[in-house]
Amino acid sequence: MVEVLRPGLQSTLQDAGRRVRALGIPSGGAADSVALRLANALVGNAADAAALEITLSGPKLRFRERAVVALCGAPFQMKLEGLDVPLNRALTVQAGETLDIGGTSLGMRAMLALRGGLNGDVVFGSRSTDLRSGFGGRQGRTIQKGDELTLLPSEPRRVIRASLHPSLLTSVANHQVLRVLATAEAAPALLADLTRRAFTVSTQADRMGVRLQQNLSAPHDPARVSLPNVTGMVQLPPDGRPILLLPDSGTHGGYPTPLVVARVDLPRLAQLRPGGTVQFKLVNAGQATAALREAEKTLRQTELTLQWLHAQGA
Amino acid sequence: MTGNAVTGDTGASDAGTSGTVAGDVAGFAPLGDSALMVSTPLARELLLSCQAAPLSGVLEAVPALNVVTLLFSPLETTATELQDAVQARLAALSPLPVGEGRALHLPVRFGGPDLGWCADFTGQSVDRFVDELCSLPLTVAFLGYTPGFAFLTGLPAHLQMPRLRAPRERVPAGSVALGGPWAGVYPTETPGGWRIVGSTDIKLFDLARADPVWWHPGDGVRFSRD
Repeated sequence: MVEVLRPGLQSTLQDAGRRVRALGIPSGGAADSVALRLANALVGNAADAAALEITLSGPKLRFRERAVVALCGAPFQMKLEGLDVPLNRALTVQAGETLDIGGTSLGMRAMLALRGGLNGDVVFGSRSTDLRSGFGGRQGRTIQKGDELTLLPSEPRRVIRASLHPSLLTSVANHQVLRVLATAEAAPALLADLTRRAFTVSTQADRMGVRLQQNLSAPHDPARVSLPNVTGMVQLPPDGRPILLLPDSGTHGGYPTPLVVARVDLPRLAQLRPGGTVQFKLVNAGQATAALREAEKTLRQTELTLQWLHAQGA
Repeated sequence: MTGNAVTGDTGASDAGTSGTVAGDVAGFAPLGDSALMVSTPLARELLLSCQAAPLSGVLEAVPALNVVTLLFSPLETTATELQDAVQARLAALSPLPVGEGRALHLPVRFGGPDLGWCADFTGQSVDRFVDELCSLPLTVAFLGYTPGFAFLTGLPAHLQMPRLRAPRERVPAGSVALGGPWAGVYPTETPGGWRIVGSTDIKLFDLARADPVWWHPGDGVRFSRD
């Protein structure tokens, strides 16, 4: 059991998300899916075990039992019993010890995986927290001071010493170039407008979406019907300030969506931080898939290596 | 900063009619590298077919009016392969009978902030306008936007309301609203651009129920005065 001494700005349980968009229910799940997979692999969990997603400022946790943890994602400061401890590797926390996760100067989110995985409310096959509708995770809300988080049972294993090469992590640079694909709604002039300059990330950045600061002339089509959305869509409301959709966004929308961020860059989209800048780079489906295959291959190799190390008891 | 920032948009900000499809030919439009939008009059049949026997590489099928969007893994299939598979599937489907859903009654307390405006817009008294709304056989076309939100069809042209010029930032849960060709009920507090004519206490999404979503595509719905 883990006691929450300080919840942090917005800490929620997230796993790989759910697949019931046909019922109007958002996907949810870790915004930086790479961070979730890496953190789970380090502690020896299944790739989709529920972990704690922390945002900009982390929680302070007192462990009542021994645990194995790993933090991956944005470079948050982390202290165990007051001493700095490294990210991107598995750590043992003894019963009675306190883990204090501070802030990050780059990026937005990180995932704290705990061996066994966090227990939480399962809704439509996922423990992910949906804050808007208030379900999943910890009663559908962020963790609060005084909460007692519980872990699912796990087999006793040794803690592996491997640490991840920084190149495996999602980029959290303050300027991001996101690869995008044009949709049928991308008229040439609009496409040129969207791709020729950088945009600033506004303070409106949450798990539903990231709003950009500059506006462009939005095509207003009152006859546009409501269509299914996908995560990574760039949506253009009438005020012309683009919104990039994240995992908690609504499943359908009526605004034009001229671009979709390539799947390989969705984790980086999740790390966009208010004040940072973002530029869109057009790619085609072949390029997007090739990049995804490459990234997936590296991630898969890492997961398999860590699994092998766990099996060796290294 | 985080927590309540982005409005996103509602399906509830839409107006307009269907008609993405000419005749009975399917249209295909990729959405990024891992989704394919299929426009077809057989959308309902395609959705049911995909739910019963998923197409290879497809993770989810999401409906809209005359549309099914297939979310797929680009590591397992491509938009082109998928398009061929969908064509083959569509060729084997025939239209299912409509009107086989349940008959649901939705008690509404009429008196929303836009009720008077809507009645004026139709040139009727509020009473007459409400009577007419309650007489309509509405149908759940599809679910989407937020858990429990349904797009209801069946509004005659003169009851179709233009959306608000600027969406409200907060529409209270339970608000019954009209927007373009649609009627709908906001299950949770969200932003919204439709005209609010009343409210209901029916919980449209309740995880305590065996079936959390109150209505399903194909169900008939009638409003009544609460």
